[in-house]
Amino acid sequence: MAKLRVSSIRDALLALKTFLASHELAGPIVSLLILFIASTIVSPRFITFNNQVAVLLMYLPITFLALGEALIILMGSIDLSPGSIMGLVAVATSYIVVYMKIPLGIAVTLGLGIGILSGLLNGLLITKAKLPSFVVTLAMLLAARGLTFIITGGYSITGGELPKLGILVKQYFMLPLMVWFLIPLIPAYYFLLKRTTLGLYIYAIGGNEEAVRASGVNADLIKIIAFSLAGLFYAISGILVLGQLQSGWANIGYGYELNAIAACVLGGISLAGGSGSPFSPFIGAYILTLIQDILILLGINPYYHWVVTGVVLVVAGAALTRGVRFSK
Amino acid sequence: MSSRIVLSTRRLVKRFPGVIALKGIDFDLREGEVHAIVGQNGAGKSTFVKVLNGIFKADEGEIFVYGKKVEIREPRDAKKYGITLIHQEVMVIPNLSVAENIFISHFKLNKGIDKKYLIDEAKKYLELVGLRVNPATKVKDLRVIEQQLVQFARALAENSRIICVDELTSALNPLETKRVFSIIEELKKEKSFIFITHRIEEVFQIADRVTVLRDGMKIFTKSITETSPNEVVSAMLGRDPGELYVRKKRSQEIYSSKPILRVINLTTAPSKATEVQLKDISFDLYRGEILGVTGLLGAGKSELGQALVGMQKIVSGKIILEDREIIIKNPNDAMRYGIFYLPEDRRKLGVVPLLNIAENIVLPKVIDISKWGILRNIRMENKIAETWIRMLNISTPSIKFRVGNLSGGTQQKVIVAKALELRPRILIFDEPTFGIDIGAKAEIRRIISNLPLQGLSIILLSSDIDEVLSLSDRVIVLSDGRIVKVMNNINLKREDIIELLR
Repeated sequence: MAKLRVSSIRDALLALKTFLASHELAGPIVSLLILFIASTIVSPRFITFNNQVAVLLMYLPITFLALGEALIILMGSIDLSPGSIMGLVAVATSYIVVYMKIPLGIAVTLGLGIGILSGLLNGLLITKAKLPSFVVTLAMLLAARGLTFIITGGYSITGGELPKLGILVKQYFMLPLMVWFLIPLIPAYYFLLKRTTLGLYIYAIGGNEEAVRASGVNADLIKIIAFSLAGLFYAISGILVLGQLQSGWANIGYGYELNAIAACVLGGISLAGGSGSPFSPFIGAYILTLIQDILILLGINPYYHWVVTGVVLVVAGAALTRGVRFSK
Repeated sequence: MSSRIVLSTRRLVKRFPGVIALKGIDFDLREGEVHAIVGQNGAGKSTFVKVLNGIFKADEGEIFVYGKKVEIREPRDAKKYGITLIHQEVMVIPNLSVAENIFISHFKLNKGIDKKYLIDEAKKYLELVGLRVNPATKVKDLRVIEQQLVQFARALAENSRIICVDELTSALNPLETKRVFSIIEELKKEKSFIFITHRIEEVFQIADRVTVLRDGMKIFTKSITETSPNEVVSAMLGRDPGELYVRKKRSQEIYSSKPILRVINLTTAPSKATEVQLKDISFDLYRGEILGVTGLLGAGKSELGQALVGMQKIVSGKIILEDREIIIKNPNDAMRYGIFYLPEDRRKLGVVPLLNIAENIVLPKVIDISKWGILRNIRMENKIAETWIRMLNISTPSIKFRVGNLSGGTQQKVIVAKALELRPRILIFDEPTFGIDIGAKAEIRRIISNLPLQGLSIILLSSDIDEVLSLSDRVIVLSDGRIVKVMNNINLKREDIIELLR
């Protein structure tokens, strides 16, 4: 009997070890747990309910950016425009509501449409004009940000029906409405990547684009759809931030493209494309938010946040590429 | 030529994931000799010189330079011992001048560049290789032969004693090749050459000794005076009775119906320097036939297969499918006509290594079996995959196994399954058993030989003569992008084909 127990414990440990060594999410999940426990120890305020809600409110916009970016990185491309598209959607929606007096519901729909169109333009330029995604989305980063400044004239847009968007942060059953979005979102995103043809092709293109083309698949169409869908995710992120601020501000999303890419890398998505879990952007974005939160709680100068995030990213990147080397 | 050994290797082994590229090579290079290395695609020729030049690191074995054991870990080490490599694909920097290219490895970061001195020095080396161009010319403005000679000049400027030439640029015409040879002849008074080639006639023009490699093993090293072209070719092609699978030939009845595919005067334009131009290719393919196409490396076999699925640019000629002329611009078009090409480079063009077996098999038609083309029907996908795993005897722990972790032979079966699932009429196999182990070879040959029974027509592109002879109904021999001969495979002997290959 005792023997049996020993061997079953050993089996369990062995199973845990193989999981840690093999599963693509193992690294990110372990880092997340370590960070969480460490944060609880260094700051008594961390584990409080109010702080956890604050973390989730910071977390959501970054998550949506990461969800869009993940589609692109899984294809082996890169998107530098999430932050700018997010900002453009936020200020354009504000402008439509406040100055054009268009009802909020329609304005939000138009805002989401602007996000999709921006992504579509990215996709068309990459596939039809055959430009590298880095160049196209860098141009989008600049142009969309320029438009946000033109639309706002450098000021914030407030008033009109905008405060109604505050419903997104209103408490329902203890939590802000937008936090509840996460519950259907996680399975939906898994479904998108693992149970739809689009998801399969996204992984396949990232894994070996030439083989996909040689198989007779229209890879260009898949890329265009993926970039448009990513644009939609960035737009949702813009609307969520608008709900938090209730004001269209030209700097919304400034520099957030880096958060989006960092979240994907921290979540275990390979920048080479083709490998990563649907849960990666969720986990990566949470790690990123956690780091920012604990630095705020500890009262550390905000300028150091960038430095710390950079260091974490290098460590994650090193761990990730080692993993790839071992798996090959 | 003295008998002094300048470079030798002992039991050199190089492994890549899944294959052993060099299986213990013993090799000697004498002072002042041109030592040719020949072998089929994948025999290990390029790997061998890359190990000597530190581009790959040997896993086992020893390298000696002038009798002294050396460690070569990176190209800089090789240069230190006077070893250099002239690549097949011309490795010059197009936007720099001839002189700058020649001295590229000499520049020190802490010193300025004296342009006049550079140009005077360059002239010396250009003279040695018989190239009369202004050293200040940009290399991109030179012709290919001149660029190749610039590489020789660079090797001299590096003061190399051992120059490895990995195939002369395929773009050289016979006259230009002769010019390079006379320069090698001149230089070998002071230098030793390792000369890789797949052209047997070049070996007998320039080399003093020849080493034949096959499947990473050395078959023999012989002096050129002691061997013959026929012996070298036979040694290259080899023959392993264990891998033979002989198919019963179809009756001549298949030729009484109309051909399913007619190719008429097809000529292509290569888009890369390494590709071969097809010239005036005409042939018919009949229903239920296996048409073998063979030729040495650079004969244009792959290009022929690719041209039929829109992966080569066709400049003139016609493709007629069942009495109807068709235009094929890409593999997608070809698939709609029922033509599918299974590439030689499986890892690059055939599989998505990170996806599992089931996903790879259904990849081209997943939209057709999904609800509204979007929601995947995983159960149906698995059923399709399981059927093929059973029918083709694909050995795998599960259908969810990543294709990248399968052996070459099993990967090939996955690609065959993917192609057959599309219900094609014409399948084009490009080196279907290249680089896979003997057991899998026999099995894949059996699979191919059974396909015509289901009404499929097969074009089998292979440099393995025994494979072509054992499977095909007819054999086309290609050389330099042209058809040399079309033969009925009745009482055909390998010697007949070898005779045509050279």
